[in-house]
Amino acid sequence: MTGRPGGRPLVPAYLSTGGVARPSRDRLERLSVLTGTGEAPPADLPAAQLALLDELADGSLTVVEAAALLRLPVSAVRVLAAGLVDRNLVLARAPIPPAEGFDPDLLKRVADGLRALKHP
Amino acid sequence: MIELPDLVAGALTAGTLSALALGGGLMRSRRQQAQQRAEIAALRRQLDGTLHAFTAEVGHLAAQRMPATARQLDRPHITVPGPRQPHLTGTPLGGALEDVLAALRVELTAQRTRIDAAAQAGMRGATREIQAALYRLQDALRALQQRYDDPELAQTLFELDHENEQSLRRAQVAAVVCGAWVGLAREESHLVDAVTGGQARLAGYHRVRVHNHLKPGTALVSHAVEPVAIIVAELLDNALRHSAPDTDVTVNLEHVHHGVCVTIDDAGLGMTQDERARAQRLVAGSEPILLTDLGDPPRMGLAAIGQLTRQFDLSVDLSSPSPYGGVRAVLLVDSHLLSRIDPEERPPAAGAPRSTRRAEPATSSPAHAYGTEPDDAASGAVSRHDGPRDAGGLPQRRRRTRATADSEPAPRRPARRPEEAAAALGALQSGTAAARAVARDGVPERADEATSDTDQTDYEGGAAR
Repeated sequence: MTGRPGGRPLVPAYLSTGGVARPSRDRLERLSVLTGTGEAPPADLPAAQLALLDELADGSLTVVEAAALLRLPVSAVRVLAAGLVDRNLVLARAPIPPAEGFDPDLLKRVADGLRALKHP
Repeated sequence: MIELPDLVAGALTAGTLSALALGGGLMRSRRQQAQQRAEIAALRRQLDGTLHAFTAEVGHLAAQRMPATARQLDRPHITVPGPRQPHLTGTPLGGALEDVLAALRVELTAQRTRIDAAAQAGMRGATREIQAALYRLQDALRALQQRYDDPELAQTLFELDHENEQSLRRAQVAAVVCGAWVGLAREESHLVDAVTGGQARLAGYHRVRVHNHLKPGTALVSHAVEPVAIIVAELLDNALRHSAPDTDVTVNLEHVHHGVCVTIDDAGLGMTQDERARAQRLVAGSEPILLTDLGDPPRMGLAAIGQLTRQFDLSVDLSSPSPYGGVRAVLLVDSHLLSRIDPEERPPAAGAPRSTRRAEPATSSPAHAYGTEPDDAASGAVSRHDGPRDAGGLPQRRRRTRATADSEPAPRRPARRPEEAAAALGALQSGTAAARAVARDGVPERADEATSDTDQTDYEGGAAR
C-alpha cells in the first residue's frame, strides 16, 4: 500500500472507469466520506467498483483515502463512487467543514487575563 | 629404230594409264568435295539452328525465368517456367541454365537478408527512441492525473493516456518485430494485471470481457510480464479487428496442468485454412522474420508474437476455431514463468477483474469444503479441455459463486455503523482521558506508553481502514 510498488502501473487508471472521468453526480469532493450501505452488490458490477466496495467493507473512507488504497487518481474514484451511490450501494456524506478560525485577539486577551490571574 | 615405237607405245600406254588413273582420282575427289560441301552446308544450318535456339533459350531465361525466380522468393505461389524447349531438361545446357537460377536465388536471398537486417536496425533505433519518449509522456500524464481532479481535465487526461498507450503499443511491437528488447523491465505482477494491461492498450477495450478463473495471487515472473501483456494485446487486437463492433471478445484465464492458459475468443468471421496456417507459422516464431514478408502496410502483430514466443518460451495456438464462430487464440504460460504474489499484501489493480475463485481459502476449513470443493474440482477438470462447455455455461456458474462470496461480508457490515463508530471513538476518548489522569497522578511511564500504543492501533483501525 505504499504508493506505486510495481514501478510503472500495468493497468492504467482509465480502464477502471471505462474511460469515463465525468462523475454522474458532482457533489462528491475529495473529502466526502463514503460508507457502504451493506447491500449485496449485483453480479454485473464492474471490477473497480467492486474493489472500492471492498475497501469500504472495513469502514468509511474519504474519497482521497479510497484513491490511495486503490492506487487510482481521485477523479477515477469519484466516478466509481458516483456509480455506486447511483446504485444505492454507497452513501456519500459531504465533508465536515473545518472549524471556524478563532479570533487571535480574543485568545490573546484571554491568555493575558489568565496570566494576570496567576500572577496577581 | 625398232626401239622407238616400243618406247612410244610404252610411254603412251603409261600415259594413258596414268591419265585414266588421274581422271578417276579427279572424279572421285570432285564427288567427295561435293559431298563435303553438302555436309558443311548441313552442319552450318544445324549450327545456325542451335545458335538460334540457344539465344532464344538465354533470352527466355533472362526475360521469364530469372524474374520469376526473383519474385518467387517473397511470393512462393509464383511458379518459375521451365526451359523454352522442354527436351533441354536433363541435358548439360539445361543443367547449366538451372545453375544460373540457383546462383541467382542464393545471391538474392543473401541480399534480401542483408537489406532487411539494415532496415530492421534502422527501425529498431527509431522505435526505441519513440518508445522512451512515450514512456516519459506517460509519466507526465499520470502525474497530472494524480494532481488534478477537475472532471473535464481528467477526462482529457484519460483520453490522452489512452492515445499514448496505443502509440506505445505500436512502437513497442515494431521494435519487437525488429528484434529489440521489449523495452521495459517490470517486477513480478499478477497475471490478470498483465492481461488487463494488454487490454488497456487497445482502442476497443470496452468490448473485451475478461473472466478470471485463476487462484488469487497467480503471478508472472518479472521478465514474462511485458511479453505476456504484448502478446495478449496483439491477440486481442486481431480479435477486435476481425469481429463486428457490436460483439464481445471473451478472455478466459484458467489453470491447466502445466501452467496457465489465456483463451481469447471472438465472434468474427474466422480465418480460412490458408490464413490460419500462415498465422500459425508466424506465431510459432520458428522462421526468421523479414520485414518484406509482412506486407504493406506491414502486419506486425503476429510477427511480434512469434518473436516473443521464441524468446520467452511461451506458446500461442491459433489452430482451432472458436465456438463463437471466430478465431480462438490460446496463449499458454508455462509454470516456470509463473510465481505467486500475496494478494493481501499486493492486491491486483482495481480495474482488473476479480478471480471467480474467491472461496478458495475456505476449502482448507472442512466445514466449507463440501460447499466449494465440487465446483473447484469441476473447474479444474474442465479447464484442461476448455471446449465449448467452458464457453457455454461455466462463466455464469462461477459468477454465482462470486455473488455468494460477495454477500458474505454483509453480516459483518453492521459492526461499522456510524453510531458504533461514534461509540468506539467515545470509548477511545474516555480511555485516553482516564490514562492521562493516571499519568498525571504519577503512575510510572510504562502505563503512558501502553496508552499511546493502544491509541495508535485504535487510530489505524478506526480511521485508516
